[in-house]
Amino acid sequence: MSEDVRVSLEIPAETAFACPMAGLANVLAERTGYNQRERYRFQLTVEEFCLCLAQLAEGRQPLTIDLTGRRHQLQASFVFRASNLSLGALNITSHASAAATAASAADVGLLLAGKAADRIRLKHQGGDRFLLEAEVDRAYPEASPVRIPEEWRPPFVIRSDSDAAQLAQAAALAISAYPPWQCPSCFRTPAKFPDMVAEGRIACVLACDAKGQTAGLMAWSPCSEQGLYFSGPFVFTPPDTTAGVARLLVDGFLSAVAREPYSIVLSFRATEDLPQASFETLGALQSFVDGRVLSHPVVFRHLREDNGLAVWCAPQLEDFLRQTYDRLALPRDILPVEAPSVRPRRESLLGATYDRVRNFAELEPFLDGEDLAENLAAHVAAFRRRGIGSILYSMDLAVPWEAALAGDLLQAGFVPMAVLPQGGQADKVIWQYAQLA
Amino acid sequence: MRSLLDFTPDYVRSFERYVPSRPDPVLMRQFGVTHLFRLNNNENALGPPPLAQEAIASFPPERGAIYPSGDAYDLRQALALRFGKSPEQFLVGNGSCEVISAVIRAFCGPGDTIVTADKTFAVYEWVAQFSGIEARLVPLVNQALSPAAMLAAVTERTKIVFVCNPNNPTGSWWNRVTLERFLTALDGRSLVVLDEAYCEFLDDPDYPDGMEVIERHDNVLVFRTFSKMYGLAGFRIGYLYGSREAVDIVRRTHIAYSVNSLGQIAAAAALSDDAGHIAATRRMVDNAKRALRGLFDAMGLEYVCGAGNFIMVRTPLSDTLLYRKLMREGVMVRTMTGFRYPNWIRVSLAEEPAMEAFAKALPKALEHA
Repeated sequence: MSEDVRVSLEIPAETAFACPMAGLANVLAERTGYNQRERYRFQLTVEEFCLCLAQLAEGRQPLTIDLTGRRHQLQASFVFRASNLSLGALNITSHASAAATAASAADVGLLLAGKAADRIRLKHQGGDRFLLEAEVDRAYPEASPVRIPEEWRPPFVIRSDSDAAQLAQAAALAISAYPPWQCPSCFRTPAKFPDMVAEGRIACVLACDAKGQTAGLMAWSPCSEQGLYFSGPFVFTPPDTTAGVARLLVDGFLSAVAREPYSIVLSFRATEDLPQASFETLGALQSFVDGRVLSHPVVFRHLREDNGLAVWCAPQLEDFLRQTYDRLALPRDILPVEAPSVRPRRESLLGATYDRVRNFAELEPFLDGEDLAENLAAHVAAFRRRGIGSILYSMDLAVPWEAALAGDLLQAGFVPMAVLPQGGQADKVIWQYAQLA
Repeated sequence: MRSLLDFTPDYVRSFERYVPSRPDPVLMRQFGVTHLFRLNNNENALGPPPLAQEAIASFPPERGAIYPSGDAYDLRQALALRFGKSPEQFLVGNGSCEVISAVIRAFCGPGDTIVTADKTFAVYEWVAQFSGIEARLVPLVNQALSPAAMLAAVTERTKIVFVCNPNNPTGSWWNRVTLERFLTALDGRSLVVLDEAYCEFLDDPDYPDGMEVIERHDNVLVFRTFSKMYGLAGFRIGYLYGSREAVDIVRRTHIAYSVNSLGQIAAAAALSDDAGHIAATRRMVDNAKRALRGLFDAMGLEYVCGAGNFIMVRTPLSDTLLYRKLMREGVMVRTMTGFRYPNWIRVSLAEEPAMEAFAKALPKALEHA
């Protein structure tokens, strides 16, 4: 049974309710054992989003709020309706443009409202309905140096029922043996990892030797309705046994997820120990780490058979798509779509996820508009100001108007890097802003 | 406003819908081929026995307006005659999948469990899960069901143990002694379903006939099908055999009228004319098995080949990628990741042209792998 503490309520979209909500957030954070600093950040996040959304949401529509206290994280979710007129303000960069026109509380964009949160996500739920999620992480102690065992006793076997201490030790081993960018961020604070496993936010398999020593680790978590994102395999044994342990971990991982409701598994940060033959390489993303450009192969595999899809494609993307599909032997019907001659509204809306810890941001289009080019540029600039180097953009080829934006993206400096089969409703194209920071 | 998911139990929410493969013409167009050898579903390439084919051809179209026998009356009589049993001990379903559902509904309630293997026919586990019943999965040992491990997994809440004998996809099977020891040790603490979907492919006196086992163990139910050896997969006819009491209980949760008229007629005809058909099918399977074993040996590929009209081989690349590459050559196999055998494929054993097409396509698909 879940240990989460949860408060759900509907409030009128009025600023007067922001302060009581902040109080409630503080009580929930205290009840779930968060320290003063985390409580304050959560309180601030809830209050500022309530204020911001009270300005944006439709007057008569209530604001639905869920506050959840988990072992490792506090989360506030806001479901609200916003009229077409105010949608532009939902862009996390809206303060940048709005500041020039008016100076009311409504001009404080979501990026500013979310400054106390570790990450925020805006999701379009269809029509005028939106979901905004903000998260504040519990502070855990950083990883201490750990010693990798020197003597191993084969045979190595897979364990999926490890205790918290063993999971924390495995995470600490991984972060000490592999570059940080290849590890989930929770490995940097190893005690967080078992908490996330216990909450079902992340899953893993461990490889152990006959003495019960942790020989390897592989972890994964959902990244979409159809996809699981994995990290690893992390192998701690000497080179002569690395391949065997890696194979065990990958087979254990795939067996564990084989009958789960996902179609694909993928990673942008798989280790060199990944048995290449079990996966397909879709392309590579670039990042700028410690003064040098790193290439991150996008590795992938289906969990079941792919018997074809139809995808929309703008002329600018057709060669890329055809070459990619041919290389991957993927049967696709490519349906042409032209760039929009008239934009459906003035202001576009982009969804944005960013993670300061991982130095990573991802954009996805919610609504097209006349200002799309400026909006893309504003988002890139905002992320750059925050020091985020890798900016990705995902395009779902099941959605014709999304596919039609290929020309806009190229002009804005984005480059198609990989096609993710069944990564969205259909395939997704992963674009990356060409200039790394 | 509540969403549809708010009305949905957690165990249904988290369940993955099954996506069947598309019709052949669609697949052929998608993969750019003019012919497709279906080696993915263990269908019988010889089709139904001759009398069943005649029965299908002579079905009067006007019978299409009439409901079928709601409990497959004539087919149960034919089964009783064929096996020397009572018609009341048979229950016919729309494929064995429907019978599996009826049995789990009949015997399992909230908090109960079933026990089955982790690498076996998936439907036991699926039906249990979307019915809110826990499936306790027991790892195979040396590619075979482990009686000891399955016994160890049984608890006081276990209502059914599913034993796929021979096991799909490994083809391993329990012999008479193994099954008898297992049932004796279990001592009636739960029901045991012996799924004998592939039993007709075996010609070994040591293979235990579930219908005979029930004479000594009335906690046993036997599943069989007309979809494999009898070549009637398109009509979806499976059946259950058990004690009168067990069948009476399952009948309470079984939907009547679920089996179509033509399928009932064809299945009954197939039973009356199966000796030559079974012999011919076994010859075809033996020949194909020999050919593929030779192919895999020559290519240095690990394979598992037991009873049944299929063989499983480990591939040096992702099974789902190999599937697409073989489809481009007009050969359709079954990927095994969903059976918890990542990077293995299962190939149905069929007639020579299909096996030759596979033997030609596989090395080509594995080039550069």
